[in-house]
Amino acid sequence: MNILVCVKRVPLTGGKIVLTDDQRAISTKHLGFTISPHEECGCEEAVRLIEQHGGSSTVLTLGPPEAEEQLRDMMAIGIDQAVHLVTDGEEWDPQATAGAIVEAIGAQAAPYDLILFGNESADAGNYQVAIRVAHKLGLRVVTGVKGISVHNGSLRLEEEVPGGRDVYEVPMPAVVTVKEGINLPRYPSVPGRLRAKRKPLEALSPVRSEPKLEMVRLVLPPGSGKQAEVLGDGPDAAPAVVGVLSELGLV
Amino acid sequence: MALAAALAVSGTLFITRASLLIGLVRAGAPTPRSGDVPRRVLGEVEIVFGQRKLLQRLGPGLMHAFIFWGFLVLVPTILIAMIGIVDKHATLPWLGHQGWYALLVDIFCALVLAGVVAAFWIRKVQRPRRFEGSHLGEADLILGLIATIVISLLLWHATRITLHLNEWPASWSPVSNALSHLFADNQTTRVLERVFVWIHVLTILTFLAYLPRSKHLHIFVAAFNVWFGRTRARGRLEPLKFDDPDVPEEDLRFGAGAAKDLTWKQVLDTFSCTECGRCQDVCPAFATGKILSPKLVIMGLRDLVLAQDQDKPLVPDAVPADMVWDCVTCGACVQACPVSIEHVDHIVDLRRHLVMVDASFPPEAEPMLRDVERASNPWGKAQSERADWAAGLGVRVLEPGDPAPEYLYWVGCAGSFDERARRTTEATATLLQSAGVDFAILGPRESCTGDPARRIGNEYVFHAFAEQNVETLGDAGITKVVTGCPHCFNTLANEYPDFGGRYDVIHHSELLSQLVREGRINPKRADTTQITYHDSCYLARHNNVLEGPRELVSAVGTPVEMRRSRKQTFCCGAGGAHMWMEERAKPINEERVREAAATGAGTLAVACPFCTVMLDDGVQSAGAELRVADVATLLSEAIDGGD
Amino acid sequence: MSVLVFVEDPSDELSQQALTFARGLGEDVHGLAIDDRDGYAPAAWGQALAAATRERSPSMLLAPGTDRGNEVLAHVAAELDLPMVANCTSVAPGDPLTVVRVRWGGSLLEEARLHGSPALLTVAAHAVAADPAGTGLGVETLEPAVEAVVRVSERLPAETAGVSLADADVVVSGGRGVGSAEGFAVIEELAALLGGAVGCSRAVTSAGWRPHTDQVGQTGTKVSPSLYIACGISGATQHMAGCKGAKKLLAINPDREASIFASADYAVIGDLHQVVPAISAEIRKVKGG
Repeated sequence: MNILVCVKRVPLTGGKIVLTDDQRAISTKHLGFTISPHEECGCEEAVRLIEQHGGSSTVLTLGPPEAEEQLRDMMAIGIDQAVHLVTDGEEWDPQATAGAIVEAIGAQAAPYDLILFGNESADAGNYQVAIRVAHKLGLRVVTGVKGISVHNGSLRLEEEVPGGRDVYEVPMPAVVTVKEGINLPRYPSVPGRLRAKRKPLEALSPVRSEPKLEMVRLVLPPGSGKQAEVLGDGPDAAPAVVGVLSELGLV
Repeated sequence: MALAAALAVSGTLFITRASLLIGLVRAGAPTPRSGDVPRRVLGEVEIVFGQRKLLQRLGPGLMHAFIFWGFLVLVPTILIAMIGIVDKHATLPWLGHQGWYALLVDIFCALVLAGVVAAFWIRKVQRPRRFEGSHLGEADLILGLIATIVISLLLWHATRITLHLNEWPASWSPVSNALSHLFADNQTTRVLERVFVWIHVLTILTFLAYLPRSKHLHIFVAAFNVWFGRTRARGRLEPLKFDDPDVPEEDLRFGAGAAKDLTWKQVLDTFSCTECGRCQDVCPAFATGKILSPKLVIMGLRDLVLAQDQDKPLVPDAVPADMVWDCVTCGACVQACPVSIEHVDHIVDLRRHLVMVDASFPPEAEPMLRDVERASNPWGKAQSERADWAAGLGVRVLEPGDPAPEYLYWVGCAGSFDERARRTTEATATLLQSAGVDFAILGPRESCTGDPARRIGNEYVFHAFAEQNVETLGDAGITKVVTGCPHCFNTLANEYPDFGGRYDVIHHSELLSQLVREGRINPKRADTTQITYHDSCYLARHNNVLEGPRELVSAVGTPVEMRRSRKQTFCCGAGGAHMWMEERAKPINEERVREAAATGAGTLAVACPFCTVMLDDGVQSAGAELRVADVATLLSEAIDGGD
Repeated sequence: MSVLVFVEDPSDELSQQALTFARGLGEDVHGLAIDDRDGYAPAAWGQALAAATRERSPSMLLAPGTDRGNEVLAHVAAELDLPMVANCTSVAPGDPLTVVRVRWGGSLLEEARLHGSPALLTVAAHAVAADPAGTGLGVETLEPAVEAVVRVSERLPAETAGVSLADADVVVSGGRGVGSAEGFAVIEELAALLGGAVGCSRAVTSAGWRPHTDQVGQTGTKVSPSLYIACGISGATQHMAGCKGAKKLLAINPDREASIFASADYAVIGDLHQVVPAISAEIRKVKGG
């Protein structure tokens, strides 16, 4: 199997979000970085599928030079190689992102059987890059997947819906977006990390097209900074709590 | 001659086994244990000749000291006996003719016998728990052989006195002399004289052959193990090399996964173990019903090494995984061990392999491992919020390019993010300000020292932290550091020098007690407040900080000590990254809280943020009537009179 | 000009919200549903809507910001090669259209301009309250595109017994502060007493104490109970993204400075291991007495 996983470098925001002065980005001073949890599960799934069925995996990201850190992290858990579409840190809208990914896929030597995405990115949450990529490549796409198994060149995919799970049977090649919970991502071993430092990484410099969905500025939602009513300290607060529960009609 | 034959057989058996053991030690991975010669000599004098560690327990210590010193005194008698076998009238030149030596021999034979009797009494009557898991039969045999050797020597001397074969007056050998009255000067005694000397020599030769095949091997190995013991701070772990260009990746050492990964010192450790169980006795995990016994860890490793299976996984074949994870790295075992075995190093090396190569560790620790790497602190909080506590207090936050303060106050992750530990931080900062100390904090640029990652076994992540922090501290021009956290203290003072960072590190309790002595802080003492102080393992045992916190306690109230205090302190349970791991069996913190409550004190003073949290949790879950507070908090309250 | 609204199920609350949102734009609103007798087939449904959009040239095509709404509209956008904005909270007409949309699961908002016509956008859940008046308007049902290659082939029933987290009216949720899997016993007890569901934070699933199905958060389940009780949860934004739909939030945490208190209606400063059992005991007392 030949699998591609697409990931995005995002900051770990902690308890509150602080914006830069020009309000066009989150202030990432003193913040750590990671990839969206859905995508981390996607990478783990790719590694598992290759372990089960043989083949090779690639991780791809569109992001600033620092995003190489995330690519190496994913190679440390077992992804074989990486493709880095290097940007200057400016945001790319979903159409531009999908276009760049499709172009990079086209430039690869072998076609992919399975292209994995996270269901949505943690920061922008546009919910569409995977579907756009699938359309451009003429591939089938299923989203929100929480279970993947492979039988005879075909994928059996399970999606959680209210009341149960929907099952899709789709022949490969296909695009699938996964949700956190599909697996528990493994912790990287140190030999894995050392190998990841030397695994092949191809860097490309795509050109950003004009955004059709253009960010003007970021705004913190109103109503944050509530003044909570303190019902008490420790177990002595229990009567006051039950008072509130009664008011709400829950007791 | 019969003696020559016996010597040859015994000698061969001894040498073949000894060669095997030496070979196993030499096959161990390298580790630097040279240099610091004066300290090593001191160790030999105190620990080996002086039996200092054994005498930590007076009764069993004396018992062993008698046998050990007796052995030293009696060594020449082995030669005397062998010479006596060949020619009953001959003896060692000079020494064999000295009456005072005969007196010494007699006295020490008696002492050795007393020791053996005491040993049997301890093992058969007292039956202490520390022998659980030890090979008792083997010990009995060894004690029996020692007794036989000494008794046969006394009886041989007795018969020689009866037969007038000695040149010195019988009164020089009071014991032998007394025994000589059992014998008459006749043919029977002449035969018995031969019989006793042969029994004596053959027992010794049997013992010689048996020795390297039993735990009694320690009589040869222990002196070496003590020599090659750690001379640097106990709290420091030895770093690994990950990027050695001369070593191919397959041969990089990531801790101990199989017998071939053990260092030669670790192999030597396993051969030195006498199964005495003192380590087991002081282990807080063992005391609270967990399966970890440092003794069993070393014995398990020894057995696997002797089985000469280089590739078998140490965990679980030599040591069950639970034992590895139960450890809180408190070092009580190392403190207690009479032969300088370094159990904590073994356990951490086992952890290193499990975590770094197998990625196998208790799952509840996974959030901590991921968070400490991504968010730079083990709680996964945003570093930008690290100095929020300082906002209202006007504490200087050091920005890049700022002039260096006299002291960098290294707050630590617990002190910054945990609400109970934060009270200590605020109290400390306020006290330092009131005393006019020039200090600043790094704020968001202070990341975890890496201690939790290192103690759980992720040495690789620790290295990244060490390098980053050393760079930050270097750029800021820091030379003196004050910190409230003993773990940060230990890492900054003892472990960062391996990464090029050298600082004068002082614990906040020591700095504050210094300020009190200088009159820059003036607490009002409340006699009626009884305070018992809990020594943090990383302060007391690993770093010898004992008095500073005690001075503060005495300055604010009336101190009352727990039985397990100072270097004998009993862990709070958070060390070895256990702050982030679940605990099996009974909780260590509750055990300690009960001990504290039993002193009758109303306040349990601590000097560590982990101890603060663990013991406060313990007070709540055990339902004790104790207030847990850091010495800095107590001091600040004693200044404004309880506000 | 008209506004088309894709509705999954006209009676569904989020579909209702989307219709209400559309009506607030002051143009003709037409609801469109897709015949689902052959099951859900995202690309085929998208094709049908794309065809309808081409035929009818509306100014906008909306959908509720649900999994399916976002998915189907993304298909339409890919078909028509138009930009699509997911999870909008408000729209200001103009050329280009200005929208405010949700980022970080709701912890941040983005003002953006949409350069494309018709405008394709999904409506963030609870951006507006559903207005039942005027729902009398009929919703037209379209046929999905013929060749539905990707369709649901099977529906597996849910495995979990008890109250479903997504639907629960009360959620009692535990975070890092719970300390162990066994520690959740007190959480389960309180949830049972209140007829609610048990939730947890991401640190808890990462530690292996609860399954991912219990996780509340941006990448877990998004809940909208009447009351969300957060025990030992510090309030990371990705967690708050999962519970901001709660009408009221009670936070129990020993740290006065915990960021969750900034989003809470009620606060108890204390250790959940003491507080939660005390609440349960008090509830029993009140119920029994």
